[in-house]
Amino acid sequence: MSGFTQTAVSQILVKGQLIVLLYFFAVNGWYLILLVSSLLELRRHMLLITDESRHLLLSSTLSPTISILAPAFNEEATIDASLRALLALQYPNLEVIVVSDGSKDRTVQVLIERFDLVPVKTIYEHRIKTKPVRSLYRSATYPSLVVVDKDNGGKADALNVGLSFARGELVCAMDADTLIEADGLQRMVRPFLYATDVVATGGTIRVVNGSEVKFGRVVRAAVPTSLLAGVQVVEYLRAFLFGRLGWNRLGGNIIISGAFGLFQREAVLSAGGYLHDTVGEDMELVLRLKRLSYERGGPGKIAFVPDPVAWTEVPESAKVLGRQRDRWHRGLADVLWRHRRMLFNPRYGVTGLFVFPYYAFVELLAPVIEAAGLIALAFGLATGVIDWNFAGLFYLTAYGLGTALTAFTLILEDLSFHRYETFRDRALLFWWALVENLGYRQLTVYWRLRGLWKFLRGKKDWGSMERKGFHPVTAS
Amino acid sequence: MLIEIGLLMLAVGLFFAHGLWLFLNQRRIRRLTEVARESLAHLVTRGTVNVDDIDALRQLPNNVQVMAFLEMSRNVTGAGKERLSFVARQVGLVDRAQKLCVSRRWTRRLRGARILSRLGVVDPLVQQLLSDPHPAVRAQAAEWAAAQPSVPVISAMLTLLADPATQARFAVQDALLRMGGVVAEPLATFLERHTGRAAEAGLRVAESLAEPSFMPAALRLSCSEDVGVRIAAAKLLGAVGDAAAAQRLIELLDDDDSSVRAAAAQGLGRMQHWQAASLLAYRLRDSAWRVRRAAGLALRSIGAPGVLFLRRALKEDDAFASDMAQQVLDLPTAAASG
Repeated sequence: MSGFTQTAVSQILVKGQLIVLLYFFAVNGWYLILLVSSLLELRRHMLLITDESRHLLLSSTLSPTISILAPAFNEEATIDASLRALLALQYPNLEVIVVSDGSKDRTVQVLIERFDLVPVKTIYEHRIKTKPVRSLYRSATYPSLVVVDKDNGGKADALNVGLSFARGELVCAMDADTLIEADGLQRMVRPFLYATDVVATGGTIRVVNGSEVKFGRVVRAAVPTSLLAGVQVVEYLRAFLFGRLGWNRLGGNIIISGAFGLFQREAVLSAGGYLHDTVGEDMELVLRLKRLSYERGGPGKIAFVPDPVAWTEVPESAKVLGRQRDRWHRGLADVLWRHRRMLFNPRYGVTGLFVFPYYAFVELLAPVIEAAGLIALAFGLATGVIDWNFAGLFYLTAYGLGTALTAFTLILEDLSFHRYETFRDRALLFWWALVENLGYRQLTVYWRLRGLWKFLRGKKDWGSMERKGFHPVTAS
Repeated sequence: MLIEIGLLMLAVGLFFAHGLWLFLNQRRIRRLTEVARESLAHLVTRGTVNVDDIDALRQLPNNVQVMAFLEMSRNVTGAGKERLSFVARQVGLVDRAQKLCVSRRWTRRLRGARILSRLGVVDPLVQQLLSDPHPAVRAQAAEWAAAQPSVPVISAMLTLLADPATQARFAVQDALLRMGGVVAEPLATFLERHTGRAAEAGLRVAESLAEPSFMPAALRLSCSEDVGVRIAAAKLLGAVGDAAAAQRLIELLDDDDSSVRAAAAQGLGRMQHWQAASLLAYRLRDSAWRVRRAAGLALRSIGAPGVLFLRRALKEDDAFASDMAQQVLDLPTAAASG
């Protein structure tokens, strides 16, 4: 290499590292702001809910009706327990709509046999085009249960069918295998009672792996001992308790988990329901609702409520987890691209000026910057342009700051809901917070990059999720 | 780097120290709570005041006391609740809650109002909180008011039906419903004098009570310019259901707004007003799906005359009308009544 080329390369590498460093400080600075915001929000929330009488809501005829939409595809093994847990939720005006999305196994038969289903006809409005409905059932023993059997069309299509059949003012979109805590809906409905401009609310999703489950309820929360599930517990806590809660105070969320979200039915129908041709249909809907509220007027507040908890099983194999993360990132890229007009557009208020840019430049591009930084660092070290001391310090800074933020999130959890009670759980949580940055984080960078690459190539497949099932409580 | 190490160490220290504190505190609280529960159970169930039990409760930390009393309040009513509130006064809990009610911080006022509501303490301080600047406090005071149906309280509650905060309005509506028939007369007077949001909120309560005394107000408000008020008035007319109500509902079938037309059709169905069958059959051709559906279901609930009109509609040229008639006729009896 000639002297001139060597100088140019070293300049590029050093400047590149400086850019990465600046980006790193900007992002972490923003994380700190989010952390402080979530701390304030959590404090306010805890003051509001301490000793409240939610049981009054249970008996009020004025409570809005909620229709739970539970799309199911080949859920033969788990549908019985999941559905019984849904039917036992503590909410006065509740309707449960299970939509079998062309299941190829015995999902519908199991439902017919165990819930005493009879075929019925009903009147419903075709406001959204969906795949044909094969049959409709109601339960002779559970009056609030409706089962729809339809041709396969994906989760978005199943949710749209559910929306058409729903009679509630509010609809709760969830995955069939999500376990909602018994009083979850009472907690989740609060923002709708407190303000008229709320269009959707989301709750906290926690990892069920490792916990004890009985009759579709988590009876003892525990931190899993396996690496991938363990680090995801920490990851989920950070995402929900400090990410989404922080955004509540700073101008609003644009993400509600597809596993557990409550929406104004009329607003969703007016917006055209869920989109079929995206893998990020839940985020897309929320962003569309937000965007339409600015364009047409009407309700547009997206509220995150930290205390209603839904439990979900996370993948424990790197292959499945990789597919999931790749899909999430593809979905994010797709949604941001569809609504790119909002970026830095003052017409969309805080969402256009702050929230959208955050998701575009921090959430979407982070893996690109991180990967570029890692490659440049490795190259710089190999060629001697960057010295080992700088690299070591940089890594330690990044590692330490990441771990400190996670540790503060764990404190938030501990101060508020305190779901993990034993010393073992506490030690495990901290252990996974330490381990997360040593390999797992780098793996997620790779998966997310793969997702971006697939998005650029126009891939829209979902991949499959393999489930181990919940841990039942053994009789002692 | 040093700051960062400091932060990390602080976080770790806090995390584990808090864990240890929680563990020790919970163990202590568990023991104290058992004492409190036992003493309270003695005092509330026996009906006699035992000084030892009162002393035992008095010596407990505030949070344990509050926890034990609020826990017990959920499980007792009537005389039991009165005894509980008496004991709460003896141990000083009511005094502390009253002090919280006049605090400058809304979070404390909320806490005070919650304690007094749950204990069922009759206190003018809580009534004053019905006009608190914070909606959460007003909502809590409304919850308290549900168990105190006196004239001044009802009057204050009715004023709150116009509350701009949804939270307070919901709590007031719910509390008025819990008060029951005693609010019918003042609510009817209120509805005769009000319009807009307050009237709409009041009409929702009135619909559940469905007293004939609401009729004059319902008829007046069904002519309101506000769509929400007309819908609520139509629902109330359907719930009360006399000849004048039926006549007005028939007029509302021609309203400009589809939701009002649907509510009117639903009301006529609820009243089983067979004289309106031909008009409802005409509404099967309405441009709005919700009106066609409401008209179809109303015809079905009217019985034989309605079903006759539905069968005739099957042969109509209008595809929307015949399709809706078919769907309604296909319904099983139980579903058609909903």
